[in-house]
Amino acid sequence: MIWAMYFAVAVLLTAGLYGVITKKNLMKVFISLSIMETGVNLLLITIGYIPGGTAPIENGNFAKYVDPVPQALVLTAIVIGVSVTALALSLLIMYHSKAGTLEYKEGMKW
Amino acid sequence: MRKLAGIVIAGIFFISMMMLFYHLPASHDLSSNEYYYRNPINGSVANESIPEHYIKYTKNETGAVNAVTAIVVEYRGFDTLGEVTVLFTAATGVSFLLSLAVRGRKREEANLILKEGSKLVLPFILLTGAYIFIHGHLTPGGGFPGGSVVASGFLLMMLAYPKFFMKDRISWFESAAGTAFVVIGLLGLVLATSFLQNFIPVGTPGQLVSAGIIPLIYIAIGFKVGSELSAIVNKMKEVQG
Amino acid sequence: MHPVLLIAIPLLVAFIIPLFKKYGPSIALGALALNTGISIALFSVVYSTGTVHEIIAGFAPPIGIFLAVDSLSALLAMIINLFALINFMAIGKASEYKFSMLYLLAVAGSTGIVITGDIFNMFVFFEITAVASYALVASRKDKKSMEGAIKYMILGSLGSIFILIGIALIYSQLKSLNIYDIASRISTMDAKIKWASVAMLLTGIGVEAEIFPLNGWVPDAYQGASGGVASLLSFGPSKAAIYAIARIMLVIFPLQKVYYLVLTIGVITLLIGELAALKQENVKRMLAYSSIGQMGLITIAIAMGMNEKNAILAIFFLMVSHASSKASLFLLSDSSGMGSAATKYTGIVSVLGIVGMPPFAGFWGKWYLLMAAINGNMLWVIVLIFFSGIVEAAYFARYLHRYYGNEESFSRLTKYSMAVLATMSLIFGLLPLIYEMGLKTLFGMGGV
Repeated sequence: MIWAMYFAVAVLLTAGLYGVITKKNLMKVFISLSIMETGVNLLLITIGYIPGGTAPIENGNFAKYVDPVPQALVLTAIVIGVSVTALALSLLIMYHSKAGTLEYKEGMKW
Repeated sequence: MRKLAGIVIAGIFFISMMMLFYHLPASHDLSSNEYYYRNPINGSVANESIPEHYIKYTKNETGAVNAVTAIVVEYRGFDTLGEVTVLFTAATGVSFLLSLAVRGRKREEANLILKEGSKLVLPFILLTGAYIFIHGHLTPGGGFPGGSVVASGFLLMMLAYPKFFMKDRISWFESAAGTAFVVIGLLGLVLATSFLQNFIPVGTPGQLVSAGIIPLIYIAIGFKVGSELSAIVNKMKEVQG
Repeated sequence: MHPVLLIAIPLLVAFIIPLFKKYGPSIALGALALNTGISIALFSVVYSTGTVHEIIAGFAPPIGIFLAVDSLSALLAMIINLFALINFMAIGKASEYKFSMLYLLAVAGSTGIVITGDIFNMFVFFEITAVASYALVASRKDKKSMEGAIKYMILGSLGSIFILIGIALIYSQLKSLNIYDIASRISTMDAKIKWASVAMLLTGIGVEAEIFPLNGWVPDAYQGASGGVASLLSFGPSKAAIYAIARIMLVIFPLQKVYYLVLTIGVITLLIGELAALKQENVKRMLAYSSIGQMGLITIAIAMGMNEKNAILAIFFLMVSHASSKASLFLLSDSSGMGSAATKYTGIVSVLGIVGMPPFAGFWGKWYLLMAAINGNMLWVIVLIFFSGIVEAAYFARYLHRYYGNEESFSRLTKYSMAVLATMSLIFGLLPLIYEMGLKTLFGMGGV
C-alpha cells in the first residue's frame, strides 16, 4: 500500500517535471507545476500515514492515530498552490493580451 | 531535442526518487525514542516525539478535539497567518495586474433552471460553508474548506447571472478578516505572553463554544478565504484574454 | 523586545490599506519607518544580550514555532527594513496603493525568512516574498516585464516544490521542523536521505538566492522590472534567501561533503555571473549578471564559514556592500545617465563600493574572505577573488564611461534617496575601523 503511494508520488513528480521541461505552451507549463505540487502533497500525506491509523480527532476510544503534522502542512501547501496558480493565470491573461500568444517559442528565450 | 532532454532528465529524476523513497521507512512508531525532541532554548531532551505530544495533549492544552485544527490554528498558527497572507498577496496581485486588462466579455444568459435553482441553493451553500468553519475545532474541515464552499456559492451566482458583480465592498471583508486575525494575535501578546497565544478560557472540549481563540480565528479565516477567492474569480470573470 | 512585531506590523498595515486607498503609500511609508525603528532597537538588544528568542503562541519550541534572532539575522533584518524605507521614499510616493501593499508584503516576507527558527515557517515566508515579487516584477505591465515575471514564476514554483520535498524528507526522519532541534539530531538521519534533502533545499532556495542551477530567471526579471522593484529584489528577497542558505548550511548541515558542494556551486555561479556581465549591452541585464556573480562570492563565503570565523564576517560585509551598491545602481538604471551632482556621486560611490575599494563595505568583505582563504591555505580562492575584482572593474568602468555626464530625469527625492543608499556601504565600511576588536565576537551564526 505505502509503496504504491510512493510510486504515485514519483510518477506525479516526474510527469510534472517532464511537462515543465518539454511543453512550449505556458498554460501547460503551469498545469505541469500543479501536477508536481499534487505529488508533493501526496508525499507529505504518505510520510504521515501510519498503517491502520485513523484521523487524529479525539473521540473517547483510544484508537491509533496518524501523524497530524503533515496534514496541517499539506493544508498550508494546498492554499499556497492555489494562490500561485491564481496569480499565474492572471499573468498569463495579461501576457496573452500583450503578446497574442502563450507559446514561448517566439519571444521568450531561456 | 527538447523532448529528448526532457525524457533523459525526467528518467534520471524518476529513478533517483524511487531509490530515495526506498530508504524511507514504510511505517513509523511515533513513540519510538529516536524521535524524542530536544528543546532548542534550554537543551532539555523530552521523552516523547512532537506528533505524539500533539495527539496526547491537544485536548488539555488547547481545548480542541481535532488535533489537525489545533496544530493549524494554535501550535503552528503563525504558519497559518503566513498562509492567509500568501492568499491575500495573490489576490492583491491578481487585481493589481488585471487592472489594465480589457474588460467586457459577452456571455449568454443562463437558462431558467440554472437561474432559479442557484437562487434556491445559495443560502444552503453559504450555511454549509459557515457550519464547516464554525465547527473547525470539532470536526474535519475548518476555515479553508468552509471559505472555499462560501466562495463556490458566489461562483455559482456568477455562472447563473452574467451581470452578477461584486462591488468593491468585498475588499472590506478581506481587510476586516485579515485585520481581525492579526489583532487576535496581538491581543495574545498583550493579554497573555506571546503572539497568537490563547487568552480565553478553553471551556469543555467537545462543546461548540470551547477551544479559546480557535473558533474566532477560524471564523476570520473562513470570511477571508471566502471573500478572497470570490474576489479573484470576480476579477477574472470579465476579462477578455 | 518582540521581533514578531517586525512581521505583524507590515501585515496588519497591508490588510488595512484597502480601506484607505488614497493614503496607501503614506501609511506604508509610516509602517516601514516604524519597522526600521524596531529593527534598530532589536539589533541593539541582540548586540548587548546575545541571541533573542521569541516564542509564538505560548508553546515551548519545538512544539510551537519560535523566532531566533542571532546577530547576523538582526543585522540583516535591520538592513532590509532600512533600505526598504529609503527605497520606498524614492519610488513609493507616486505608486498605486496596491503596489505599496505588495511592497510591504515582500519586505515582511524577507524579514520573516531572516528571523524565523522553523524550517516550514521559513518556507511560508519564502512564498509570501515570492508571490509578492512575481507581482512586483510585472508591475510595469508591458510585455517585457510579463515575460520576466512568468519566467521567475515558473522557476520559483519549481524551487518551492523542491524546498517542500526537502522539508518532507527531513520530517520523515526526525519528526521535527525546528531548525535547531533538527540540527541537534541530524546525525541520526539516514545518510542518503540527508544528502537528498540538502540537495533539494539548496536547489529550491537557490532559485531565490540567484545561485547556479536555477537562476535563469534573473536577467529577464531584472530587465523587465522597474528600477525600484529591481532594487528591492537585490536587497530584500535575494539577501534573505542567501541568508537562509547560510542558516541551513551552517546550522543544520555543517558537514565536510556539504562544504565542497556549496563551494563548487559558489565558484560556478561567480564565474558564470561575472563573465556573462562582461558581454551585456543592456544596463539592467549587466547589473543582474553582476548580482549573480556577487551571490556566487557570498556563497563561497558561506561555504568557508563552516570552518572559518573570518568568512562569516565576509558574508555580512559582502551582503551589505552588494545590497547598498546594487540597490542604488538599479534605481539609477531607470534613466540612462548621470547628470547632476547627486547621481554622479551615486554612480561613482556605488561602483567603488562594489569593486571593493577601501574603506567601503565591499573592501572588508573581500578582505575577510582573503583572510579566511589564507588561514585555510586556499590559494585558488585568492586568485578567484582578484580575478572577479578585475572583471568587475572592467565592466563597471565601461558602464561609467558610457553614462557619466548624460542627461537624466529623476525627481529630487529619488536622487537623494539613491545617494543615501549608496552611502550606506561607506557607513558600514567604517564599522571595522571603529569596532575592530568587537566584531569577531559579534558575528557568530545562531548559537543556541
